[in-house]
Amino acid sequence: MNRVAVAAFGPDRPGMVAAITGVLMGHGGNLEDTSMTILRGHFAMMLVVAMPEGEAPAVLEDSLSREVSALGLTVVVRPLGDGTGMADEASASSWSVSVYGSDRPGIVHRITRLLADHGANIVDLSTRVTGSFPDLVYVMLFDITLGASADVDRLQAELATLSEELGVEAHIRPHESDVL
Amino acid sequence: MTLARPVLHLPHPVLSRPAAALEDIDRKAVDLAHALLDTMRSSGHSVGVAAPQIGVSLRAFCLDVTGHRRARSCHGELVLFNPVIIEHSGSEIGREGCMSVPDLTGDVARATAMVVEGLGLDGEQRRLEVDAFEARAMQHEIDHLDGLLFVDRVVAPGRVFPRRVYRAE
Repeated sequence: MNRVAVAAFGPDRPGMVAAITGVLMGHGGNLEDTSMTILRGHFAMMLVVAMPEGEAPAVLEDSLSREVSALGLTVVVRPLGDGTGMADEASASSWSVSVYGSDRPGIVHRITRLLADHGANIVDLSTRVTGSFPDLVYVMLFDITLGASADVDRLQAELATLSEELGVEAHIRPHESDVL
Repeated sequence: MTLARPVLHLPHPVLSRPAAALEDIDRKAVDLAHALLDTMRSSGHSVGVAAPQIGVSLRAFCLDVTGHRRARSCHGELVLFNPVIIEHSGSEIGREGCMSVPDLTGDVARATAMVVEGLGLDGEQRRLEVDAFEARAMQHEIDHLDGLLFVDRVVAPGRVFPRRVYRAE
């Protein structure tokens, strides 16, 4: 399978998704998983696209850049390998983590460093700055998976200590889904 | 002999169509109930099945939250025809999966307590007070009768996730 990653970013305005996907369709592409959102007034897209064999990422990138530059979009296209990345062990558990507090540099880095040291795999993460200057509040929400060997009690204790140091609130809770 | 039937997957049109009320709890309705129960029992990971999931566009579902960690109210194994939500209160976001939506789960806001009326297997009117997990599961099944899947209800587009456990079975 000839898969490419397409990332595009630009000041938000109507028609961006239609423009990008129109060019992809013209090249015979088929969208697979995508994530698109507005970040501080900029529309950001990440798309995994299955392309016909022989469609070179560089050619597609040129074509996209030409077609959508009028919309102020920056576009990058890169080939993707066949690998699907790291597979969770069947016994992995899912957790939701929420962190919020006064905005300051380093919150995401310190928290995610701690999680990585515990072998946690982040599967979804979004952060928002809310409130108005100078009382900016940073809100970070993410989902992680933990392997069966992870020590959740120790992770929780270390997260509490780190939160205190950073002056933020942090909560971690199991996120089990039920098949109804 | 099991009456279990295959569970339809989206985008099957029956799953997206509002189901019709049953006029009588007759022999056919009871057969449907047993098909629902057998289908639920034969899939160890499911706590409920609605008629549209087995291709029958009628307002019926079965449910059993016995032994579930997050259950408070528990009416055991039950079948309800023509269910109607009389009252509901509270709201809580939880992650749901569905046998008709393989591979995905999603975060859905549901009432935390409800009063539901409908007809039981014997054709008699039943009035059930449910809360916690039983209330969530019942709302999920009643949604099936209205042609809605959890993907129609997720709290935000980003709150849909790959499912990890179900496919391993």
